[in-house]
Amino acid sequence: MKRLKVFGLLLIGAFIGSNLRYLESLVFKPQDGFPLGTLVANLSGALVLPFLIHYLQDRYHLSTNTILTLSTGLLGSYTTFSTFTADSFRLFQNGQWWLLFWYLTVTMVGGFLVALLGNYWAASQAFNDWSKRK
Amino acid sequence: MNFLVVGFGAAVGAFVRNEFTLLQVKIKIDFPIITLLINVLGALLLGVLTAQIRSGVLLLLLGTGFCGGFTTFGTFNMELSQLFFQRRFMACLLYFVLTYLFGILGFIIGIRI
Repeated sequence: MKRLKVFGLLLIGAFIGSNLRYLESLVFKPQDGFPLGTLVANLSGALVLPFLIHYLQDRYHLSTNTILTLSTGLLGSYTTFSTFTADSFRLFQNGQWWLLFWYLTVTMVGGFLVALLGNYWAASQAFNDWSKRK
Repeated sequence: MNFLVVGFGAAVGAFVRNEFTLLQVKIKIDFPIITLLINVLGALLLGVLTAQIRSGVLLLLLGTGFCGGFTTFGTFNMELSQLFFQRRFMACLLYFVLTYLFGILGFIIGIRI
């Protein structure tokens, strides 16, 4: 029964997250085949996840179930690693070296940087709240 | 119609990922080995699917849906940042290199099988 509940919560989160990513892949579709949709989904998701875990969770006293739905379900499915590898391989096969270079660089370096930024964002919001209460 | 297919595939993917993630606390290794395993396995599987499947709907269900929902970029980068803030720089670099190296290699192996 507990597993069924977990599946239900993840179903809600993953449904929304994966379709947001799917929608972005349809909207951000440059002529040259650059996987802008995946990039936008991955970077925005990597930014928001630390903010959710390190700020919103405490700030709004989110329950374990809500966190499971939003982090493991929604953001986990919104971002993707497998599509990134598929995109890279496609650019490699097409010999689109510059696009491949930029895609790898922005994903690899950018992903790490936005995750750091998400942590700082969470810390600064928490600090702001704390100073206002004083 | 497509969004139902993607959503259902991703839900199953997220559920399987969650089952894997629960193993992380059981094993006594202080390194995000489970997310690494998830992302490499997911990339390998997507490679196989890309090579074998011709049906667009099936690829949406299993590729965009299942593999997309199973693998995760957000958790990977959050774990990277955690290792960084813990000042475990070697572990951070190792996690970065292993994920991208074996992830991309996994997809290539998958598509060539």
